[in-house]
Amino acid sequence: MSDTATLSPPEVVSPPESPEAAVAPTPALPPTMPRRRELIFGTVFVTAGVAMALLTLIGSYLATRDAAGAAWLADNQIALTQPNMQMLTLGMSVVTMQWAVWSICRDDRYHTYLAIGVTMLLGIAFVNQSTFLFKEAGIAITQPEGPLFYAVTLGHLAMVIAGLVFLLLMAFRTLGGQYSSRQPDGISAAAVFWYAGVALYAVIWFAVYIQK
Amino acid sequence: MTLTDTRSSSDTPPAAAGSVVPTALERVIGTGEHEAIGRTFILSSLALMAVSAAALAAGALRSLSNGGPLDVSDNVWNSALVGMVLMGAIPLLLGLAICLVPLQVGSKAIAFPRAAALSLWAWLVSAVIFAISLALDGGVGGSDLEASRLGMLSMGSMMVALSLGAVCVATTVLSHRPVGMSLARVPFFSWSMLVAAPIWILTFGSTTAHVFLGQISQANAAGLALRYEAGVAWFLRAPSVYMLAIPVLGISCDLVAQGCGRRIARYGTVQALIAMFGVFSFGAWTQTSGGRENILWIAFVALAAVPVLGLLGLIADTLRHQKPVVSPGLIGVLLAFLLLLGGMLAGVLEALNTSGSGTLFSFEAVGLGWAQSLFLLSAAFIGGLAALSAWSRVVLRASAPNAIALGAISAGLIGGGLLATVFFIQGLTGFGLNLSFYNVWVAVAAAVLALSALLGLMLVLVTSRGNAPKPADAGADGLTLEWAKAELSPEDQALLMSAIVASPYPMLDFRFAGEAVEEDN
Repeated sequence: MSDTATLSPPEVVSPPESPEAAVAPTPALPPTMPRRRELIFGTVFVTAGVAMALLTLIGSYLATRDAAGAAWLADNQIALTQPNMQMLTLGMSVVTMQWAVWSICRDDRYHTYLAIGVTMLLGIAFVNQSTFLFKEAGIAITQPEGPLFYAVTLGHLAMVIAGLVFLLLMAFRTLGGQYSSRQPDGISAAAVFWYAGVALYAVIWFAVYIQK
Repeated sequence: MTLTDTRSSSDTPPAAAGSVVPTALERVIGTGEHEAIGRTFILSSLALMAVSAAALAAGALRSLSNGGPLDVSDNVWNSALVGMVLMGAIPLLLGLAICLVPLQVGSKAIAFPRAAALSLWAWLVSAVIFAISLALDGGVGGSDLEASRLGMLSMGSMMVALSLGAVCVATTVLSHRPVGMSLARVPFFSWSMLVAAPIWILTFGSTTAHVFLGQISQANAAGLALRYEAGVAWFLRAPSVYMLAIPVLGISCDLVAQGCGRRIARYGTVQALIAMFGVFSFGAWTQTSGGRENILWIAFVALAAVPVLGLLGLIADTLRHQKPVVSPGLIGVLLAFLLLLGGMLAGVLEALNTSGSGTLFSFEAVGLGWAQSLFLLSAAFIGGLAALSAWSRVVLRASAPNAIALGAISAGLIGGGLLATVFFIQGLTGFGLNLSFYNVWVAVAAAVLALSALLGLMLVLVTSRGNAPKPADAGADGLTLEWAKAELSPEDQALLMSAIVASPYPMLDFRFAGEAVEEDN
């Protein structure tokens, strides 16, 4: 079977004819198997759109900062410790995310759950670190830098939260037995989205925080 | 089961006796069937195209009554143009794609059917809100702050919704193909949608970011207008505006092959040319004025004409070898190609002007830019109408009346052509738009374009109410899989779908195989 072929559609079960059987509930249709790689392709397209939006925001941020010169964020102090730790956190999550993909491809369900759990923990830690950073930096939305700074950072934070929700859903579906070495698409799709989120944070980390 | 792999309604068993039968409205709103979603997209886009073109005509008449020049920075002008693109041309093509692409690749359902339905309803609600915001002096660049914010937000929502629909279409092409149908054997329209979808997604991703910035920047109405001009309006200029025409290339090649009843030679070359055009239509990097005044921009705009000319040559070659059956669809795509060439010519002149401004050429770049946008918008709209007419037995389940189809296409050509030509002349001659004559010209052209959309709407309504599909024994002429349902008996359909696809034209192969069997007998 080629990779684009699908499993045959489920057969509709005819209702039983005997009186005893007639009172029995009609058997439910078995769920259709999703087409191979459908979710991955869909996620890649969505990720491309989200990445483009974030890159545009980053581009606008850099252009405005360039125009503002030395006055940009002159009244605020952003220590590098926090962004560095965030980068490290997300960097570690790449390893654990790949661990989840590797495990599901080998039907190692225990390690899959463990890896997804650790990845989500690191993601939640990132969200927590971000809120701390916003509080520490004290950038007001009303100051000139505010809208762009928060558009970039909150936009990315929203992407990470979306990634966490995606991972949670895929974890539940894995628990339900939907994913295995034969059909690892859900975990792989979540991984694609997650990796894009980490890559975009690397750009933000360098462009927004390192090059302040 | 989650949203991502929901069985489409076409796959569900019939309702059991005694169960509640949904009303027609509930069926339309709750459906995940791609054909119903596509038809609703088409119907709504034609109605909204008429509204947008009428708004453009009203704006020109308002300028005329005020005694002022044609104001292309006016919010009515800009909103109407955005409306014609995001509420008319792109949804029309996307609706056709949602309807046709799964059938072309032999799939019973579109990928992510509920996402496709979400795309439709989110787009429709946003489009209505956008129209309301324009009526309240908002839209894009309006003077009322709240209405302008609403206009920008609804425009962003439309872009997100259309991107979602494009995701469904592109994923269908990639993952729903039957055994044997490699990407090199995908029908041209599906291929062109596969090329167009990522370009639309990336472009709208970028413009949506600016809409988001506009919303959080606490700008006043003038600031929002500036945000639109600096961050969003670029998608209506070269090279991004080329993305409107990508599906038209696929439609043209499919309909020419259909009209001639023969395979198009050099299938891979055609696919490569469509992909090349797609690459040249990616313009998110030209958002700043500096990005539009360099050698890369000149190369993109000028080189985009190469694949169009190449495709024109291959189409002409096909028509030369086989006299086609003339139909409104075929006439429509050839006229759309003509408008496309107009757009390419304006683009090449604009590129030459940029490269030699002040020394070799002294064209009016703004006029040429508008001409190019309007030529391509018209080409996309007429291409959509032509496709609707040609595939009516598949999309609308009955043959479209030729008279209405020809009327809609002709009105589209006249309206769109006139609208673009006024700016083309202005761009070439450099005359200002301060003559009342221009207002009258634009008003008439926009009104004719609105008439074209209304005729298209009539075409859909009249055809949908007809119940005369072509009988299966009346002779088949479809080449690709979407025609199977309209032209083959259920037994033959089952036979065709179980066969391994061996060429880009499975229906043609099937017919030849049948004839061979008959000859043997």
